[in-house]
Amino acid sequence: MGDILTLVGKRLGLGLIILLVISLIIFFMVELLPGDIAQAVLGQSATPENLAALRREMGLDQPAIVRYLAWLGDAVTLDFGSSIVTDARVTEIIGERFMNTLFLAAYAAVIAVPVSIILGVIVALLRNSIFDRVANVVSLSFISSPEFFLGYILILYFAVKWGMFPAIASLSEGMSFLDLLERTFLPALTLVLVVMAHMMRMTRAAIINLLASPYIEMARLKGAPPWKVIVKHALPNAWAPIINVVALNLAYLITGVVLVEVVFVYPGIGQALVDAVSKRDFPVVQACCLIFAATFILLNLAADVGAILTNPRLRHPK
Amino acid sequence: MTDIKDQMLLDRLAAAAREGKISRRSFMHYAAAAGLTTTAATGLWTGAAKAQPAKGGTFRLGMHDGNTSDTHDPGTYVTFSMIQVAHTYRSYLTLIEPDGSLGPDLASEWSASPDAKEWTFKINDNATFHSGNKVTANDVIASMNHHRGEETTSAAKALLSDVEDLVDNGDNSVTFKLAAGNADLPWLMTDYHLAIVPANEDGTANWQSGDGSGPYKMEEAEFGVRYSLTRHEGWHLEGAYFDDLQLIVLNDPNARQTALVTGDVDAVTQLELKTLALLQRDPNIEIDDVPSAAAITMPMLCDTAPFDNVDVRNALKLSLNRDELIEKIAFGAATKANDFHHSPAMPYFPEGIEQREYDPDQAKSLLQKAGAEGLTVNLSVADSVFSGAVDMCVLFAEHAKQAGITINVNREPNDGYYSDVWLKKPWCVVQWGARPTPDVMYSLAYKSDAAWNESRWQNERFNELLLQAKAELDDEKRAEMYREMAILAKDDGGTIIPFFPNFVYARRKNVQHGPDLAPSWQMDGARACSRWWFADA
Amino acid sequence: MIFVILYFALLLVLSCGAAYYNQRSAFLLLFSLTLVSLVVAIIGGIPGLRFISIAAGMLLAAGMMSYAFREFLTALASDEMAKELRTAPLTAAFGMFVIFIVAIMGIFAPAIAPYGEAEIVSQAFAPPDNNMLLGADQLGRDMFSRIIYGARNTVALALCGTVLAFILGAMAGLLAATKGGYFDGFMGRMADVIMSIPSLIFALLMLSIFGGSLASPQTSSWLLFGFAVIVGLLFLAAAAYSLVSWLIGAAIVAGVAFAFALAGTTIFNASEIILILVVAIIYSPRVFRLTRAVAGNVVVMDYIEAAKLRGEKNWYLIRREILPNSTAPLVAEFGLEFCFVFLLIAGLSFLGLGIQPPTADWGSMVRENATLISFGEITPLIPAAAIALLTVAVNFVVDWMLHRSSGLKE
Repeated sequence: MGDILTLVGKRLGLGLIILLVISLIIFFMVELLPGDIAQAVLGQSATPENLAALRREMGLDQPAIVRYLAWLGDAVTLDFGSSIVTDARVTEIIGERFMNTLFLAAYAAVIAVPVSIILGVIVALLRNSIFDRVANVVSLSFISSPEFFLGYILILYFAVKWGMFPAIASLSEGMSFLDLLERTFLPALTLVLVVMAHMMRMTRAAIINLLASPYIEMARLKGAPPWKVIVKHALPNAWAPIINVVALNLAYLITGVVLVEVVFVYPGIGQALVDAVSKRDFPVVQACCLIFAATFILLNLAADVGAILTNPRLRHPK
Repeated sequence: MTDIKDQMLLDRLAAAAREGKISRRSFMHYAAAAGLTTTAATGLWTGAAKAQPAKGGTFRLGMHDGNTSDTHDPGTYVTFSMIQVAHTYRSYLTLIEPDGSLGPDLASEWSASPDAKEWTFKINDNATFHSGNKVTANDVIASMNHHRGEETTSAAKALLSDVEDLVDNGDNSVTFKLAAGNADLPWLMTDYHLAIVPANEDGTANWQSGDGSGPYKMEEAEFGVRYSLTRHEGWHLEGAYFDDLQLIVLNDPNARQTALVTGDVDAVTQLELKTLALLQRDPNIEIDDVPSAAAITMPMLCDTAPFDNVDVRNALKLSLNRDELIEKIAFGAATKANDFHHSPAMPYFPEGIEQREYDPDQAKSLLQKAGAEGLTVNLSVADSVFSGAVDMCVLFAEHAKQAGITINVNREPNDGYYSDVWLKKPWCVVQWGARPTPDVMYSLAYKSDAAWNESRWQNERFNELLLQAKAELDDEKRAEMYREMAILAKDDGGTIIPFFPNFVYARRKNVQHGPDLAPSWQMDGARACSRWWFADA
Repeated sequence: MIFVILYFALLLVLSCGAAYYNQRSAFLLLFSLTLVSLVVAIIGGIPGLRFISIAAGMLLAAGMMSYAFREFLTALASDEMAKELRTAPLTAAFGMFVIFIVAIMGIFAPAIAPYGEAEIVSQAFAPPDNNMLLGADQLGRDMFSRIIYGARNTVALALCGTVLAFILGAMAGLLAATKGGYFDGFMGRMADVIMSIPSLIFALLMLSIFGGSLASPQTSSWLLFGFAVIVGLLFLAAAAYSLVSWLIGAAIVAGVAFAFALAGTTIFNASEIILILVVAIIYSPRVFRLTRAVAGNVVVMDYIEAAKLRGEKNWYLIRREILPNSTAPLVAEFGLEFCFVFLLIAGLSFLGLGIQPPTADWGSMVRENATLISFGEITPLIPAAAIALLTVAVNFVVDWMLHRSSGLKE
């Protein structure tokens, strides 16, 4: 157990270094983007003097590296600065939106993860049956249509035709939890459909991959029923790839949902990020990307720890 | 397609009926021609002829183009949704009336010196800010100064560059002193940047508070997401029928349409034209299709080969089929243009200039004359220019094949299009917002030394006329000058203008408006919130 | 009415026939279909029945087609291959059939398509008729021709992107698993860095930087060359064990990379190459992580220990021990990543990046008309169905391979 704690400590340290590297990459990518903040803020109709004045006001006349270091100095003390464009605190801009994103991701994950793992186990058990094929075709069809398109179809049926759920997931103050669940049902469902196939198929593949192993053969010869063979013997050894895919998809639920946010007008962090990129609003872009990266690193760490905990051989290296 | 045309005809009929321009008998006659049954036509006649504004209700509007980084700063208003909001909680010196003429907003009256170098605006005595303070000359001057001077970060700086001084006359009026005569100054005052905000003690503009003197008071602003407003009792103009407003940013066209169809909002801006005919079938929805002064332009850099040859430019102008573009790209919701940037929705429109049509044979012979047969050119475009921009170029390339011209369509990234492509690539596609007068438009993008002379077109006579017309207070003489300029731009200029896109927006049936809709912005010149009303309120 | 009578008569005759010949599963299937049809006929009436019969007919046609195609392949293939093919389930045969058709469509697109991909032949959204099987799109271009050309453009791009991502990711993953230590740690963190930046944002940034004014043939061929060199170095790190072999290997890598860049620039244009590379870079860390996880489980097995003690080189370990024992999840991943790449390209065109017009591409074809779906128009469903069909087909084949490589004998 102590080994794992050291591992976690080490990985957290590494995570900080990764965040640093990412902040550097993002900074220079934003710098390299054609056009600049002043142009983006003032739009098509700005004069050169205008642009110069705005750049001065925003402190863009200093060299890039100076600005980066200044930002970094603040960031170390957990001060992510203010938006260059609106002058509002970055935490103020993205704080609430990040909570919204987390809520939606959690909503989708709570449905998607158990359902897809259970389905995966079932289709592995019933492999090559009609049920397996149908589950396969349906889930593959869902992930192979672009998510905005899937969203449109859900809106068409659930909101326009049947009127069961609202088409727009806009939130307002003082909503009850049930209301909230109802309002955000369609975006959550879209996300569930998008991520489910991946997890389900990986569960199935990982289990089937183990079925020819001698120890499974052994269990079967002992006369254990098929479901017991899979749940008791195959599944524990298949966790590593499954956990990996689950972590990947959880990260996707948080970081990759820009299009779903747009389609359902959900005030999440993805929209804020795209807006900030188009305005070259570096502090906001940076903060959003770092939040995403941190989420991702933590999820990964959890996945790795999970993989070790579930694999006895990795737990006790020789 | 006939659906839309019939609907437009019916809309115009209904409008004419409301204004009393048309008798009941001829109304019924035309309505039958548009495929309406007698009963339906009778219903329409009574509905149209007795529309009366009523107070009350919460108006929910879905707006396109909102960005999280929008602010209260009038100098950096740039997204459409912010422009819409600005016209709702702030006011301007003048405004554009539904019929397209200039009308009073904060300024109750205005007058000019004979050389049009001095303009005096009298401020409406009843005008108050939401905080309760009266709007004074001091506030107007502070608001204008926000866009002037070396240090300003306002995008409206160019607009006011001719203003030398602003004088508070002490009788609640302000005088603008200009470096050169400008007959259009009252029109300029309608620009969306020039909102009047309260002045600080030190004479700077206090835009941060979000205070204004518009018809509605901002209760809650979540930029790029939603805005809640309530009526400003004691607003200085007629209107503001709704009690409260919910202005919601819906960037996705599908989200706007479904929200309207399901009744989550009462009106939406900017419909996707592709689905217009389908949306039309919904009995609960009314579509407004308003000819505008916005334009799609395709500037060719006149100092870059092969566009430095006027015959090549004209050959390209001849090799696009405008009718097909309007039918397939704008889905009928556009006004055919004639390669000069002066839309019928602007004042002084020159009637009767011969329309340039699709003529690949003549284009071929022009190219022969220029020694450029089998011309190959690159046309840069991005999806974000307008919906269907890339398709339009693809269609143009197909038309130009008939004239032996190969057009390679280059799709550029949306992001940074106006800083990297526009004014830099030899040939690209641009969308221009509506400008109030031809002078503003020509000075901005066609004057030889203008910063955004997007085609780098140099024509002495054109520039001379532009200066003369600007200071001319006689409307007839002025119109004559604009006609000559239009012909010059059409036959010598470097800009292809395929069409002027209409503003197309929609509302639910119970939302009503007057007979005309202003051509300056979407949603009745961005003033729908103060001009429209609920029929069942 | 006649239709209903014929429908039930046929079903009953067939199920009785199946029962008489003791075909238990066929009987169960047919009879349950009869019962379901009864319920549907009561609730949905004749349209419901018609739907069922059309669906069953299509399923039957697909089944027969797959069967015939499998026999066709077995007849053509060599003995050993034929034996393998005979074990393929019908679904896999169906998958192969679809892939085969798409490949034919892509390769011979100009010959098959009745019109050019940019050619405007009719009114916008014209309904299907004798000349245009699937009707016209928003500009009046033939939908059928564009689907065929789209097979060529989209599949080529997505396939190249996925393959590159796989070569890079799998190679790095295998190497990291065998070498372990700092190399493993370093590669893992590299992958973390790339993956922690959301892919759509990453693509947006990369394509805005490289896709705009920089999208020249020179830049793109340099980028391609650079990519090939990185992959080559990974191979070298696995295979080379002395200075001399490093040097020889480096020369070979440079040569191969050069040829690769040259080939790339001749086949694709500059912006397409950048798109492929961006896709490869975004997806390779995912492949890396999976390979690393799977190979990590294999590396700790006893037979690897044994091979190591025998003094086998890394290259041998990767090639003969680790790779064969971790193909299954990798192959499964390939099928999914392939369709993710499709979707990323479609999503990118949401942001105005991606394939240049008027090139037909399934993803963009969905996006262009996506809003029409809200009014129940099927135009956007056609390319979406094409994507779905191909993805399902690829994954059917993948399933079969997975099953085969897992060594299950059932």
